Amino acid sequence: MNNNNHTCLEQETVTEHLITLNATEQDGFRAKSDVSVLVAMERAGQHLIPVGCRGGGCGKCRIHVLQGEYFSKRMSRAWISPEQESAGTVLACRIFARGDLVIEPDPPEIRPQSQTK
Amino acid sequence: MKKGVMRPGHVQIRVLDMDEALKHYVDLLGLIEMDRDDQGRVYLKGWTEVDKFSVVLREADQAGMDFMGFKCLDEDVLDNLHQDLKAFGCEVEEVPEGELKDCGRRLRFVAPSGHAFELYATKKQTGKWGLSNRNPEAWPRGLQGMKATRFDHCLLYGVDLDKTLELFRDVLGFDLAEQVLTPDGKRVAQFLTASMKAHDIAFIDHPEPGMFHHASFFLDTWEDVLRAADLISMTDTSIDIGPTRHGLTHGKTIYFFDPSGNRTEVFCGGDYHYPDHEPVTWDADELGKAIFYHDRQLNERFLTALT
Repeated sequence: MNNNNHTCLEQETVTEHLITLNATEQDGFRAKSDVSVLVAMERAGQHLIPVGCRGGGCGKCRIHVLQGEYFSKRMSRAWISPEQESAGTVLACRIFARGDLVIEPDPPEIRPQSQTK
Repeated sequence: MKKGVMRPGHVQIRVLDMDEALKHYVDLLGLIEMDRDDQGRVYLKGWTEVDKFSVVLREADQAGMDFMGFKCLDEDVLDNLHQDLKAFGCEVEEVPEGELKDCGRRLRFVAPSGHAFELYATKKQTGKWGLSNRNPEAWPRGLQGMKATRFDHCLLYGVDLDKTLELFRDVLGFDLAEQVLTPDGKRVAQFLTASMKAHDIAFIDHPEPGMFHHASFFLDTWEDVLRAADLISMTDTSIDIGPTRHGLTHGKTIYFFDPSGNRTEVFCGGDYHYPDHEPVTWDADELGKAIFYHDRQLNERFLTALT
């Protein structure tokens, strides 16, 4: 299965990028290219995005990326459809910055009685 | 009343990447890889388990639980329970022998909570890993990571706890060991047992059906739980909470996530339950202490991060 997970992140030169929230005065945080945007935020001591499983499974850290380049690993289709993913709606725990990013948190609502499995 | 359901026998978990998952379940948790099949599923178990496997990993594009299986005493029990499940109103699918390697036929049904469960009576027994059944030593050498001893239970989030309790108690013979009640008497958590353990399966009331909270694995001592916490830090593994103690069941515990976001628990200790015991009740306004006995407050992630 091609899920992007075997790409060797380690072999790339580590770069550092600025992640900012759209339409806010907040400072944002810096993210190295070899840690996920979510973990970079946690390491910066910030709480801009809700933190869940950190593994692409629970959907808590869903964001829109409005600007900037990133690399992404596989994330659960329970929360992100292929169309959403290609339009920049992603889980922050599965993306790695490749440039400065402008993001907007979009935590999913609870979906009563929906059967997505 | 017991109906011949013995114990949690297996859980099939969906993972986003098999190689990453095996680092978690084998290298870190310490399960033993027992087999693989032509669908690419990997079969694992804890070293004290006599049956060949208890955890099946399947690579998929969503995390979560495919199903949890309970082992029954014998094939006659399966036939009886098949009728009883149908009479209860469950649709029962018979999964043929061999669909899981070295496992007999399985009866699959969906509980009112929205989760798929299975009953089976036959699975190849390979014995405890690394030990003889005759004059056995205390433990085998060569175990990895947390050295998890066995798959113990699952905690699931879903709908219709009352009807789910009816199914597990009246049809499958489980007892209600512990519960959480709101001031107006609504049961929002139920811990059920088919044995003397405080829980073999637990449910929390939640508006989305069929959600997976965690699969749990047993360790012998508090020192082992602390050592598990050390390993979680050493490997930079995503942690949820712990080490701590639960009020519910009083188990000593730590929670962390597999690389696909499925929650894993390792724990030790915990209360016991006999069929003549009244259920232990926690009041919902003490829920913080019921869940985390020391912090006495809830952690948002523990309640809402589900796969």
